[in-house]
Amino acid sequence: MKQIINNNSSLFSNFIKNSIKAPSPKVQQNFMKVTSELVEVIKKILEAEKLIFDVSYEGKKYWENAKKHKFAFVDGGAYSSFLSSSAPFAIRANTYIVKPDELLERRELFRETVKFVGNLYDPEKNLYDLDEDPYEDNQLLTKKKDAARITFETAAVARHVYENEKFEYLLLHGPLQTPIMPFSGPEFPLFKKEVIKYILPFFKKKEINDKDRHFINVYLNSINYIKKAKFNIFGIVEKTGSTIYLRNLLYRAKQKRLIDDVIFDKTISLIKRYKINDATLFELILSDCQALKPLEVEKQIPSKAWGDWEEQMNNFPKVFIGYLRTNKNQSPIRIESLNNPKKLHQDYEYILATSKLLPNYGFPAGLDVIDKAARIHSWLGKAAKGYYQKYYLNLALNSKDPTTIISALKSISDGGRKFKNRPKAGRLSINAK
Amino acid sequence: MVEENLKTDQKQGGFQLMLNKKITEPWTSIGTILGQPVIDSYTFYLKKYKAKKGDIVAAEAKLPTGEGKVIDVIVWGRITEIISSNDFLPNEATKELTEENINIQDTILPLTKNDSICMVTNLGYTKNQVGEKMLLLPINYPVAPGGTIKYPAKKDLASLLNSEMNSKNPILIGKLVAREDIDVFVSADNMVSRHVLVIGMTGSGKSVATRRLMRELMHKDYPILIIDPHGDYLGIVKQAKKLFPKHVIKLFYPKISAPSNNKEVIFALIEKLGKKLTDPQYDFLNWLLDNIPYESGQNLMDYINVLIDRANTAAANKRNKSSAGMNGIGNTGATTMGVVARSLRVVQSKLKKMEKDNKENMEKFPHLKFEELPDSYSQPENIISKSQVSILYLKGYESLPSSTIVSILLENLFNHRSAGNKTIPPFFTIVEEAQNFIPSRAEGQDGYPSVETIKKISTEGRKFGVGLMIVTQRPYKLDETVCSQMNSYIILRLKNERDQRFVKNTMENWDDEVARQLPNFANGQGIVSGQITNLPLTVKIKFDADLVNSDLGDEDFINDVQNWKDTEITKKKKSFYKNFDKIFKSDQRRPN
Repeated sequence: MKQIINNNSSLFSNFIKNSIKAPSPKVQQNFMKVTSELVEVIKKILEAEKLIFDVSYEGKKYWENAKKHKFAFVDGGAYSSFLSSSAPFAIRANTYIVKPDELLERRELFRETVKFVGNLYDPEKNLYDLDEDPYEDNQLLTKKKDAARITFETAAVARHVYENEKFEYLLLHGPLQTPIMPFSGPEFPLFKKEVIKYILPFFKKKEINDKDRHFINVYLNSINYIKKAKFNIFGIVEKTGSTIYLRNLLYRAKQKRLIDDVIFDKTISLIKRYKINDATLFELILSDCQALKPLEVEKQIPSKAWGDWEEQMNNFPKVFIGYLRTNKNQSPIRIESLNNPKKLHQDYEYILATSKLLPNYGFPAGLDVIDKAARIHSWLGKAAKGYYQKYYLNLALNSKDPTTIISALKSISDGGRKFKNRPKAGRLSINAK
Repeated sequence: MVEENLKTDQKQGGFQLMLNKKITEPWTSIGTILGQPVIDSYTFYLKKYKAKKGDIVAAEAKLPTGEGKVIDVIVWGRITEIISSNDFLPNEATKELTEENINIQDTILPLTKNDSICMVTNLGYTKNQVGEKMLLLPINYPVAPGGTIKYPAKKDLASLLNSEMNSKNPILIGKLVAREDIDVFVSADNMVSRHVLVIGMTGSGKSVATRRLMRELMHKDYPILIIDPHGDYLGIVKQAKKLFPKHVIKLFYPKISAPSNNKEVIFALIEKLGKKLTDPQYDFLNWLLDNIPYESGQNLMDYINVLIDRANTAAANKRNKSSAGMNGIGNTGATTMGVVARSLRVVQSKLKKMEKDNKENMEKFPHLKFEELPDSYSQPENIISKSQVSILYLKGYESLPSSTIVSILLENLFNHRSAGNKTIPPFFTIVEEAQNFIPSRAEGQDGYPSVETIKKISTEGRKFGVGLMIVTQRPYKLDETVCSQMNSYIILRLKNERDQRFVKNTMENWDDEVARQLPNFANGQGIVSGQITNLPLTVKIKFDADLVNSDLGDEDFINDVQNWKDTEITKKKKSFYKNFDKIFKSDQRRPN
């Protein structure tokens, strides 16, 4: 076990983090000891529950059989350096569709499945971003960007379901369902009406009310729509810091009376304090080409919701989460699906085969391809930003209102806390006349 | 004029319209200029498979004039490299494909996202007049990023390549490698007066190039002299006689002679071919040469005979203590004289052997008529004449006697031309295996009289209508002065790095990019550059199949061996060897 721990990549990085925070050999030794003991017990539980299984891999044979199928990979890209009031400005979700045995000219399609350039959120409602405190301001801005990215990626998947595509598999880069709690805060801005119509073509409501335009509802609609898909959809997450599988495993053990409440609570506390996560632990447990059977987990925790979103949170479907070790060097990847995989071995075999095409990175090669294709490069974003800054400042100047002008200036020059934007002594220095 | 055009075109919507008005057929857009172009070069994004390396492309551009105006121009450039990349195909994927023997086409990896970026070296610009005579001018401003790259139409490109030559006599050399629909011409006027260097390794197509140009010159009745050390041109005699019935094609074998006023040539020949002499022996040899008159054009073998007789007589006189005819060599011993006589006999024997070898080689072609080379001093018109091709067959002769023969021949012919007495017309000389006649200093050019003669022709020949074509497979072994006087080049495939370096150092406007192409040329492909052409061009030289050396046949050694039968003598020899072997094995006695 010691040898395995020494060779473990994510454990090593955690170990370094711990050493920096608590640079004492005693603490480090203790971390190693606790981790290795936890590994042993978790492995025992997994084995007792028959959750570990081997995934077969014969690259040549696999692809010779699989080449007749159509595969899709989805990822999103956003240009992130925007004016706060317009964020996000440019966003898209692309799909790489490939049918390997097709003639070259029809073999591959790189599709910009959903894209948007402009004001995504409705400026008539709360803009949610012009806070006095720039730290707070950035937090809100990040939330808006995240909400936009999640919405567009899910919308791209929903678009393929809507268009009744005949994929064998669709892999999404990232989780298939995200905890929506951070977006449940008061006055989170609404998407513009046109945006809803564009990204949710299956949403037939004649009158879209304000609530329908909130991220949580848009996301819920999309997720529920995706769940009905006739093809296999998996979300793939690499380098995860999550403890969701571990916590649910322990909870399940508790339910089955394999462990008692005290042990459960103590272990959960220990995991938190030692910052042990799924990736760290399962890298020590799983060998190359080994996987953990998916557990059905609830991603949303209604009790933690702000405002009146508790009920909606309950409407989110449960998610099936498993892990797959794709090579000897990397920690296992997390695999999420909205439905319990009916052909688990076959599904994981496909994910393993695509990941083996990146033998060092150990991540589905098609997602690496679409990650590059969807990215909005800074050269493209910067030009748009420059144009938009001019437009925004011009609007402010035309208003002839000194406060608006100063606000605009601050906004386009990285917030009010920068030295160049320090408060001027005495009266406002810009004369509106 | 240009300004007017510009105004008109701006009214009509820009440069595109202006081009379309004058070009013969539409030019296809094939790419867009990228990044940061410089004056000499730029890169562009290429539409898939729309151009290839070596292609000449046109960029729309604006250039400032001296008067502060801006004009629309076409910037012409050559694609020197194409970089293809697929940013979406991870490198590490190839490792797995290789290790697991997986066919990439079976997998989900992308195959269609290949991007092609072309690197272009600018050749110059033309004003907005295409289709007619286009003058290529040097560029003074880079092309703009984002500009369109076009693939010019055949006629317009041909017009660019061939119109500026100002030649009254363009001759077809071949086609552009990159665009086989475009014929390339070279200037015959510049070729016959300004010298051409033809370089290429064995099998690269040197003979294809020389035959091509020779044929075109024959069409113009231009006299040609070929120095042929290996008999490469014998085969074409029969064919040329059929194809050029009115031409006179003469095959000469050499006669070793020297002009009477140039005994140094004879001295050098004897010195190099004979035994190494001491100072007193050299003195005696000089005495012999000074005292025995040599008639111009006299066969050197006869002269050497006289020298040997005289040396023997002098030695005999010395031994007999007779002083008759011994003025100036009173102190020279009989032994010294004997050594000189022996050395002369060695020279005589070597020359006889070469003469014999040459004769035997000629006998292999009984259907060809060889003539003794006339005295170039007294009968130059028998060698150089309108509509005549003279081939001097030197096979069998070592390089030094060959150099002597060629030096004397070319010296005399050049003197006839420079004297201005109209004895012979202007002529063109093809020197095959030139490293034998103009070796570099490093190769040891002492005693090679042809070096000075060819050097003189290369520097002064232009004035007197004496043109040279130097053909070699080892350019680095050539005399640097002669090479620097070559104004035009045909460079075929070269693999040897020293040869490539030499070419790079010798030629103007030569860059590493061109040098990189040299090892990869196919047979008959090469660069034509210098004053015989407008631009350096990569050309597929036209292959004149009807002039191929049918008499010599292809090398078919395997077939020869399969059909090989020992002669009766060889059979007997082999059986004797067996007997002798037995005897020698039985011999147990120690040698005395």
